[in-house]
Amino acid sequence: MPRVQAGRAGTRRRPIRLVDLLVLAAMLVLAGIFFLPLLWMLASSFKSNSDIFSDPFALPRSIDPGRWVTAWQEGNLGRYVLNSVIVSAVSVTAVLVFGSSAAFAFARYRFPGRTVLMSLLGLGLLLPVQSYFIAQSQLFTSLALTDTRWALIIPYTAMGLPLATYLLTVFQSELPSELFEAAALDGAGDLRMLISITMPLLRPGLAAVGVFTLLSTWNEFLLALLYISDDNLKTIPTGLLAFSSRYVTDYSMLFGALSMITLPMLVIYVVFNRQINDSVAAGSLK
Amino acid sequence: MKPTRSWVPYAFLLPAFAIFGFAVLVPMVLTVYYSTLEWDGYGEKKFVGVANFVELAHDSLMRASFWHVLLYIAATLVLEVAVGLLLAGLATAGRGTRLWFRTAVFTPVMLPMVVVALLWGFIYNPDFGLVNAALRGLGLDSFAHAWLGEKQTALWAICLVSGWAFAGFFMTIFAAALASLPAEVLEAARLEGASEWRLFWAVKLPMIRGSVEVAVLLCVTGGFQGFDLFYVLTNGGPYHSTEIPTTYLVREVFTNSNVGYGSAMAVVLTVIVVALGWSFGRLRARREVV
Repeated sequence: MPRVQAGRAGTRRRPIRLVDLLVLAAMLVLAGIFFLPLLWMLASSFKSNSDIFSDPFALPRSIDPGRWVTAWQEGNLGRYVLNSVIVSAVSVTAVLVFGSSAAFAFARYRFPGRTVLMSLLGLGLLLPVQSYFIAQSQLFTSLALTDTRWALIIPYTAMGLPLATYLLTVFQSELPSELFEAAALDGAGDLRMLISITMPLLRPGLAAVGVFTLLSTWNEFLLALLYISDDNLKTIPTGLLAFSSRYVTDYSMLFGALSMITLPMLVIYVVFNRQINDSVAAGSLK
Repeated sequence: MKPTRSWVPYAFLLPAFAIFGFAVLVPMVLTVYYSTLEWDGYGEKKFVGVANFVELAHDSLMRASFWHVLLYIAATLVLEVAVGLLLAGLATAGRGTRLWFRTAVFTPVMLPMVVVALLWGFIYNPDFGLVNAALRGLGLDSFAHAWLGEKQTALWAICLVSGWAFAGFFMTIFAAALASLPAEVLEAARLEGASEWRLFWAVKLPMIRGSVEVAVLLCVTGGFQGFDLFYVLTNGGPYHSTEIPTTYLVREVFTNSNVGYGSAMAVVLTVIVVALGWSFGRLRARREVV
């Protein structure tokens, strides 16, 4: 009996059935719906305003990247991307370093106040940005932090820390405690254990936490809108908004700018889809 | 493990809690304090007790904005969670990873909402937008609308954009849960002669119930916090028909300088979101114990 089952499920390929074709057809239609806006955006970026108006569906006459270059250079788009890279890189690094350090304390030690501190972080998992951003903006204004990169790096780090610490604590608790006992016998100090034992073993967890922290800092809009008015410090979301009001009727340039932000994301997903999927799944488990 | 020296754990916690305390906890407590004030953000602070909250209870625009966000949440539960589930079912139905399909659906998730909003602003454009062009192409000229400019359509138009942008996120959650189901159970059900359709509803879906619950929670609490799409696409207009709590409170605080009143709105919103998340956690914990 088991042999029959193995034969059916394993060696003989299931024939292609009608239902498989239906599933495939449904997938093609749905993928088309999701992709059509992006294709239209890309095509329109190579068309003149009058072509966009006269026939929205037509393909461009030629692929001329000229408008893209103008958007990147004159439109300050390169600057916005650079700012996003700086702000995101610093925030994600800070979240990973401080988050693993805090998680190390929670996972390795028993100490007075541990439960209270953990529930504070638990509260942080639930708090919406609306619960603190009004007073935060007052605070940042009075400390002259607005219109500096710190005005974004500090809150992005603070927003990322609760979930990062929580997940990294879970990951670290799964590491065998014998490792640390052996290291202690060898005379390793506390900091040494964090750096040479925990961090290397934690790499998959750090990658997952890093990816979703990156996604949320890269895309954050509300605080960036409130704290940054200097065009040279704007990140992609607020920068694009400023861009769109500067070139409000230059549609091909706007479409070009949107395409330039979108295409790298598409490539990144194709290359890193496994890590990104894992990260989204891990991040949603909170 | 006991620390070698008693201060060691606190040293490891210090950076994280210093930043979190400075940027989140202190401002949160201050926001609650602000909610009891009449204050323009610069001048004299006047303590008014719960007067802001009493005023909120009678504020018809506040009530309308909560109604709109509830409609938005209801719509996105269908357009994001239910559609996400359907997409995940399709993506995992066959063999292989179907990367082309996942890429098409997930790319919008990675885009800043401003990009999504600007793009869809064009798609809904009454003159050259994709939607009206398609309708005119089909000879349905009378169905063409200024989608974001009319009271009857604006909110639903935004819900649709939200679905386009987030369905891939929920698909990914569900696909991960579906992929982790034990293959023997599914194979056994197939051998019993269950169709793929029945397999999905009777076997797979009950087994990923936990993920569905989390997705619903994320969609509801995320919906209450919505801002980006609404701000860029309509900023509450036309005639407040897409006003939601956050667009209203941002305007109240940062344009009209009613810091106290805006803070009261923020407190109400926070209580709702935290209460939802907390009671969800309690419900789950209780069920796991039982």
